[in-house]
Amino acid sequence: MATAIVLNLIIFLPTLAALILLFVPAWATEAIRRLTLGATLLVFLISLRLIVPGFGDPHNPLEQIISQARFVAGEGGYQNIIQIPWIPSFDIFYFLGLDGLSLPLVLLTTFLSVLAAAASWSITKHVKAYSILFLLLETGMLGVFTALDFFLFYVFWEVMLLPMYFLIGIWGGPRREYAAIKFFLFTLVGSVLMLIALLVMYYNSDVRRLSEQQRREALLHESVITKSLAPSEKPLHTFNLVALAKLGQAEDSPFTQQGLFGKSLAWWCFLLLLIGFLIKVPSVPVHTWLPDAHVEAPTPISMILAGVLLKMGGYGILRICYPIFPSAAYELAWLVSLLGLVSMVYGAFAAMAQKDFKRLVAYSSVSHMGYVVLGIGAWSLVPGIWDSQYWKMGMNGAMFQMIAHGLSSAGMFFMVGVLYDRVHHREIDRFGGIYGKMPAYSALAFGLFFAALGLPGLCGFIGEVLVVLASFRYSVTIAIIAASVMILTAGYILWTIQRVYLGPEYRGPHAEGLTPLTPREFSIGAALLIPAVVLGVYPQALFQYMAPSVERTVDEIAGWMRRGEIASPNGLPTAAHPNDAIREGFVQNWQPEAKANANTNANTAGSTEERVDTNTEPNTEANRKTNMNAKAELSTQPKAEVNLVAHAVASAEGG
Amino acid sequence: MDPHTAIPSFLAAACLIPLASFVIIFLAGPKLGHAGRWAAYLATAAIATSFVLSVIAACQWFAAYPLTSAGPGHHAAAAPHVLAGTWYTLARFGELQLSVGYYVDSLTIAMFLMVSFIATCIHVYSFGYMHEELHDVHDGEVRTSSGEPLLRPGRFHRFFQFLSLFCFSMLGLVASGNLFMVFAFWELVGICSYLLIGFYIERRSASTAANKAFIVNRVGDFGMVFGLMILLGTLGTLDFGDVPGPRGEVRPGMFSLVRAAATHHALRVPAGMRELAVQAGPAEESAEESANRAAESTAQGIAETTAERAAETTTNGTAESITEGAGEWAAGGVAGGTAVSPVAEPAGEQARARRTLPLGYAWLILAGLGVFCGCVGKSAQFPLHVWLPDAMEGPTPVSALIHAATMVAAGVYLVGRCYPLFTPEVLYVVALVGTITLFLAATIALTATDIKRVLAYSTVSQLGYMMLALGVGGWVAGLFHLMTHAFFKALLFLCSGSVIHACGTNEMPRMGGLWRKMPWTAATMLVGCLAIAGVGIPLWFGLSGFHSKDAIVAQCLLFQRASPIYGWVYYVAVLGAAMTAFYMFRLWFLTFAGAPRDEHVFAHAHESPTSMIAPLVALAIMAIAAGWRLPGTAWSIPGILEQGRPLGTGEEAFAAAAWADLTVPPEHESHQAAIHVAASWSAFGAAALGIVLAVLLYGTRTWDPARIAAAARPVYVFLKNKWYIDELYHWVWVRPTLFLAACAAWIDRQIIDRLADGSAAAVRSLAYLDDGLDRRFVDGLVNGLAEATYRLGLSLKRVQSGRIRIYIVWLAAGTAALFVLASLYWGVLTT
Repeated sequence: MATAIVLNLIIFLPTLAALILLFVPAWATEAIRRLTLGATLLVFLISLRLIVPGFGDPHNPLEQIISQARFVAGEGGYQNIIQIPWIPSFDIFYFLGLDGLSLPLVLLTTFLSVLAAAASWSITKHVKAYSILFLLLETGMLGVFTALDFFLFYVFWEVMLLPMYFLIGIWGGPRREYAAIKFFLFTLVGSVLMLIALLVMYYNSDVRRLSEQQRREALLHESVITKSLAPSEKPLHTFNLVALAKLGQAEDSPFTQQGLFGKSLAWWCFLLLLIGFLIKVPSVPVHTWLPDAHVEAPTPISMILAGVLLKMGGYGILRICYPIFPSAAYELAWLVSLLGLVSMVYGAFAAMAQKDFKRLVAYSSVSHMGYVVLGIGAWSLVPGIWDSQYWKMGMNGAMFQMIAHGLSSAGMFFMVGVLYDRVHHREIDRFGGIYGKMPAYSALAFGLFFAALGLPGLCGFIGEVLVVLASFRYSVTIAIIAASVMILTAGYILWTIQRVYLGPEYRGPHAEGLTPLTPREFSIGAALLIPAVVLGVYPQALFQYMAPSVERTVDEIAGWMRRGEIASPNGLPTAAHPNDAIREGFVQNWQPEAKANANTNANTAGSTEERVDTNTEPNTEANRKTNMNAKAELSTQPKAEVNLVAHAVASAEGG
Repeated sequence: MDPHTAIPSFLAAACLIPLASFVIIFLAGPKLGHAGRWAAYLATAAIATSFVLSVIAACQWFAAYPLTSAGPGHHAAAAPHVLAGTWYTLARFGELQLSVGYYVDSLTIAMFLMVSFIATCIHVYSFGYMHEELHDVHDGEVRTSSGEPLLRPGRFHRFFQFLSLFCFSMLGLVASGNLFMVFAFWELVGICSYLLIGFYIERRSASTAANKAFIVNRVGDFGMVFGLMILLGTLGTLDFGDVPGPRGEVRPGMFSLVRAAATHHALRVPAGMRELAVQAGPAEESAEESANRAAESTAQGIAETTAERAAETTTNGTAESITEGAGEWAAGGVAGGTAVSPVAEPAGEQARARRTLPLGYAWLILAGLGVFCGCVGKSAQFPLHVWLPDAMEGPTPVSALIHAATMVAAGVYLVGRCYPLFTPEVLYVVALVGTITLFLAATIALTATDIKRVLAYSTVSQLGYMMLALGVGGWVAGLFHLMTHAFFKALLFLCSGSVIHACGTNEMPRMGGLWRKMPWTAATMLVGCLAIAGVGIPLWFGLSGFHSKDAIVAQCLLFQRASPIYGWVYYVAVLGAAMTAFYMFRLWFLTFAGAPRDEHVFAHAHESPTSMIAPLVALAIMAIAAGWRLPGTAWSIPGILEQGRPLGTGEEAFAAAAWADLTVPPEHESHQAAIHVAASWSAFGAAALGIVLAVLLYGTRTWDPARIAAAARPVYVFLKNKWYIDELYHWVWVRPTLFLAACAAWIDRQIIDRLADGSAAAVRSLAYLDDGLDRRFVDGLVNGLAEATYRLGLSLKRVQSGRIRIYIVWLAAGTAALFVLASLYWGVLTT
């Protein structure tokens, strides 16, 4: 009960504040701003109590509620669960919960909302409408990060979309309508793809396929469990993300059935969801809405957009795509990591060419979010070696990078906004000498830009280094290219700093406007820089909450892979020669960019099969290793095919 | 106190105190009394405390582990004393651990002493040098839009703030217990260097040089990250030494994984690299080898073929030597690859090991090269040396501290630190890069006229010497030169700073005759020149540079004897010694001797304040004496370093290489009289030749340098333009990168956005089409129907005339017609 109060409060307090604002007269702009700031601050303080230990009187009922809602670090599972039937006829529940993946993002959202609300003093047009939409946006964002029911997730996803559209379209710059519609349409395409996947998943799911134990582990509502235990022929569908993940990872997963063009349902759903989420990340080539949206959006909205909205993409991939469709994820790992890599490189190059300060920061977001996608995608877990720690490192790095980027990019957009408010232009080449005029501002900006640069001691370093180091075990080529991006990053960031902040004097227009930072602006900048430093020197502050859940996700997927192996004991054919099998396995599966050459190895399957019987040696160390590695190659193929081959081998041996 | 806990604690404190100073100055800044003067006191006190703590740690260290061997002539057979541990864990994933730890051996202690000592001297020196920054500064090099020199507030405290941050980063780098931490501090010293090179932020040249320094270093770091990936990906750890794990177990570090005690610390490809080689093997191997592979079908066959191949290569004479016996590793030269088999492997694994080892060995080489890449960037080695001369845009104390004595030597330090990981092939690359660098930089220094640039190129060249020494097996020689070079090069830079401070220019052609005005500076600088030239009486007495350069030349000579084909580096080293002596004395004569060439400058010149002279004297004493041994004891810098010699690197086993004819000889052999005497005389001869030439050209003016320059004009222009390397990089790297950037932006605007906008437009045209369809056909149909009905109605209107008679006629006619019809069809209807 207590937990339900706290979590609901976090999500719906902004809505409540928006409702109250409806009754405040529109001319009372200062009051409206303060109320908005107060509401977001209250939400942040409540959400902060999820991790901060209590200092008050333990007998105080409020303290008791809070202590019950405290998030326990080091636990991988879901906490603070709320589950209430919402639309029972379609098995839709109001199902919320927190785990290590969502908690840091919830905190980031509430934190950035406070700062964005504080940065909203520069908004002077229709303040009341702006504040109401802003608060609704916060509810939508928090809902997305806490929803554990896919339908509810989708609803919150859409709830977040509309306020954003209006916030860009009404309060934006000169091309605001274009940018807003572009943003809306891109995201809507993603939503539609998600909706299709959602329906496919719902109608193919069946809770009864899970054992009773699993049903309880999946946190299904008591009513569903009761219903599922009653004998019936009809399948019992679900939107429960935990249950869907369990179904997706089961041996007889309902999603393995054939879909279109010879690909399984899992493959199609994964692809649809992936595109939907990658639009949000955004990943090349569906990223072009981002620079336009950022350039037109007002500063606080840019902060939210870069700091929180982009994270939904990464979160969705990690929360929905990977656990529910591990087989498809395994098959398409090359695509995911390649898109991440391309985003990193392309974003960095594009950033280097920009003349508009805000566009440059927007492209740097594309580049930095590429690390997130690469970290998730670099599936370095190889059957036979089962060394999941590098993937865990990469995924943790990706999650860390999301938070780090949330802080640094919000900070950079704020810094750009501060300048824009003063001189009313954003052309990099017309700046210069800002350091001389605004030293405190420049010091903050240096810190935040260095955080984006990946300087040790600041948050950006940890995430990037972990992702890059971890990707080595997936593909050497990808890792090398990923590492080279750090040269480009240094290039465009330092070049920007030189052109904007250094130099003898400011020679652009409105030089008289370059006044020192106001205390409000200074506090916003410092509030972003301080956590960037803390996370840089003490990343454990985040990892202690995050790592257990990330590792649970990886372990579940590793478990799925292992089950795939055990499902066909002795069935996986062995290759006669270590390097034959490995070579083909490597070329086909572990080096995405080598896919093009794959047809030169077209005889793979045949040759492995043929050589099976020649291997009459006892299982030496070398052979054992070989066998296991050989499976790397085969387990990517649809399961049915593997079993087919296995069967063929068994019969060949029998004969 | 237990030295095992006390020493790391003292060193940690020595690191953290400058950090505290940085934080305080950052927060309090100019509010620290007297326009920030207190910032300088605070920073200096901090680094002086670090120095004291380093001395205490050193005393404890040598009390716990006294220097036993009598110095040169012996090599440490026993394991070096090492303290390794973890201070704090940043992140842990399974067994992977990224932590902040320490690795303390006598090299660490020596580096701590050297860095904190020089940094203290330079802090004191900066009091005087930077005093202008205490009030508003007229920067004559920068003009405002109105053409006035720029007036800006002084940034005295900022300077000391960055110096403190640098001291923290540099000491942290030296204390680092793992490569991850090294990398983090590596970047931090890089950013300090960036901030200090660009200290005069108003000058475009300064900020450009700062950017160049950081970006070029990042190119090196990119290689380093690659090395880190390989090491972490295959070994699962980046710790240097064995450290206690989270559950009290001992986690083996990289050194013991690569050089296990079981194999007597001989280089061995670790299991992780073999596995990776199995995975990634096909991408690496040559076609020939894969053809061989295809012929083999069973494990039995594998072992046989490998044996055969080994035999073949031996008979072909490509194998250098195959040493049999436990604990040694047999090396057989194979074209394009290497076959190394540790005989100590369990028999069951042997077949597999033989098959896969060559590939694993390639990873070991790549890892070593990767780490070395980082060192190439930081130590300004060819081809990444271009940033260091430009870095002279920073204030001179910065050049002395960061770009001469400490940070740029970090690359050499890291090569020395990671020495156990390097295969002979990697070491040869190290030697090669060092040789090229020392030659290239020395030639450029011959013609440079900017006093600081001469010193910068000299630094690059000397760093090349150190790399060369490490590459040919002279672990102690290279690091010894690092130490002595730190003293005399810091001295030289500070002297040049004193000159620049007095003259207000960097250009040597405008100086001359300054010794009368600045006797202290001239004398200490002469000491520096003598030290860097390696002046001394062979085999008996000399300045610090004499001893360290002797050791390097001796090791090169030994290397030349051991592997004659690769031995040409020895001649370059000797030639370099001559050039070093020449350009240093050229510098001294141009600056201090002769008649003043610019009266204005000369009249303006004055000796520097005591705060600047005192550090010069302290450093001059070190530049003279750093190479000496305390009489009757083992106390000398080489003796201290010798104690920390990594296991296995002084042994014969270390020498065996897989390339034909490449042998890295053990260092202790270079102390043999035959080698040592020859090397000592050749180094002496080279230095003497250089000095004599400089005297003839610039001292007595017997020959005219201008005429020689005119005679060899193409060479002169080529050197004057620094071999055109900057221009080359501009065209090969910078332009294409900007072009690619423009391409990416163009693709976004012209292709992706066009597609998006185009599809939007297409949807809109579809909508218009749909609208048209609606209007023309659907609406047309409906409207047409309505129209027709309307027209029908209109036409029927006339019928409705309102006259009863006509209606009745119509009624009657209709009824009649109905009857007629009914009667006609009556039959049809009823059936």
